Amino acid sequence: MKAKIFASIAVVITGAILLYAVIDFPDFGDPGSPPNAGVPGGAPAASRYYIQNTYRDSKVPNLVTAVLADYRGYDTMFETVVILTAGISIFAILRVVRRDDDPSAPEPVASDRTIDGDHHRIIVGITCRIAAPLIQIFALYVVAHGHYSPGGGFQGGVMLGASFILLALSGSLRETLARFSERDYTRLAFVGILIYAGLGLLPMWVGRNFLDYGALSGLFMTKGEEMARSHSMLGVEIGVAITVMSIMFAMFANLSTRGRLQGGL
Amino acid sequence: MIVTFDIIILVFLVLAAIIALSVKDLLAAAMVFGIYGFLICLLWAEMGAVDVAFTEATVGAGVSTVLIVATVLNTRRRSTD
Amino acid sequence: MIVTILSILLIVTGLVFFLGAAVGLMRFPDFYCRMHAAGKGDTLSSLLVVSGFALYQLNDIRDFPSDWPVLLVILKLLAVVTFIYLTSPTSTSALADAGWEDGIDPVIEPGHENHLEDDCRKPPVSSPQP
Repeated sequence: MKAKIFASIAVVITGAILLYAVIDFPDFGDPGSPPNAGVPGGAPAASRYYIQNTYRDSKVPNLVTAVLADYRGYDTMFETVVILTAGISIFAILRVVRRDDDPSAPEPVASDRTIDGDHHRIIVGITCRIAAPLIQIFALYVVAHGHYSPGGGFQGGVMLGASFILLALSGSLRETLARFSERDYTRLAFVGILIYAGLGLLPMWVGRNFLDYGALSGLFMTKGEEMARSHSMLGVEIGVAITVMSIMFAMFANLSTRGRLQGGL
Repeated sequence: MIVTFDIIILVFLVLAAIIALSVKDLLAAAMVFGIYGFLICLLWAEMGAVDVAFTEATVGAGVSTVLIVATVLNTRRRSTD
Repeated sequence: MIVTILSILLIVTGLVFFLGAAVGLMRFPDFYCRMHAAGKGDTLSSLLVVSGFALYQLNDIRDFPSDWPVLLVILKLLAVVTFIYLTSPTSTSALADAGWEDGIDPVIEPGHENHLEDDCRKPPVSSPQP
């Protein structure tokens, strides 16, 4: 009871401070706010630069993706690394590997639930089997279309991971792990980061800065540097999507089986 | 940005947050947390931040609910406080 | 003009079914009746409303070959309709099944038997299977 009172006091004080800070915010869509108008005598306006120059610089209509993957490339790369770190820490905390566990041994009957043997799960199982490919196609569309419409690597990756989670929830985790095994998702998680960092390192080969995609116009065989930046953004998003997909499924597989990767919910 | 719609969603948000904190059954709390994520997604989509709303719909309302449910089912179902 | 009237008709019908689903959710006596109202009402009304939106989009086609991107929007809306048609009844079925496994008894008028009891009730999940 005492802890609850202290917690409420802390919450109320924090909320009051946050509300007090909100007073200083500019209005929603205020053209005179510092990001839109710049600081007088100081920094120029960031949003105005992006709005005026993004399409000219990289031929990408979706400003959010351009800012995330190109102008703020470091930021997104290390966000992806943060997700990878989360996956690694879940692996380190939860995963149980016993030497006497034979991975090829059949599971105990009670947890070995397949769709076909249990008529209570037929409807859900079949529908999820139909829905999962549709979700994956939509996720690939979200990844590939991320420059032109809302979406991108994170969203598409989470949807891809969610489709595997759906299969594991509706069918059995063992069947899903047979298609997307622990070895696969562990490797893919690192492959995604390597795609991102590798695309960032390639410009250094010709003496440009890290993540300066404009230098890749020779690699992508584009005419100008703009399309090279656009294509590199696509590559970067694919890397992010691969990492996020693998980590999401790894988190679910480890959390739902207490790290044994057997049985499942 | 439609102010009435904003206020309605915000009221439901606060309600969902309070319910998620006060429910004793942690599975129900996880579900209410999913509703909270979906309401935030609606709010962002309505304010024009479609990319953020997309992320919230997939991560907040989708995967994190599943992860929380998986955790609850592997630990204890009831809250003690 | 006809397209607009038809789409308005579809959307209003969908809203009526939404109202029915909401009233049924509040008024029906037990879990299964409420799931019935929510599942069926929600599915049909979402179908009608989204189909109404798709139909209304036809208004944006002024001259056909140059306005073809509108057809993509309609196609996406129809994909949404198909997806709702697939998933919403499934989730209702899963919820009702979970309720039955959890031991929620339906409200039955006196004098009638509970035929579900015969073959569907599984043993409790926690007990070990023989």
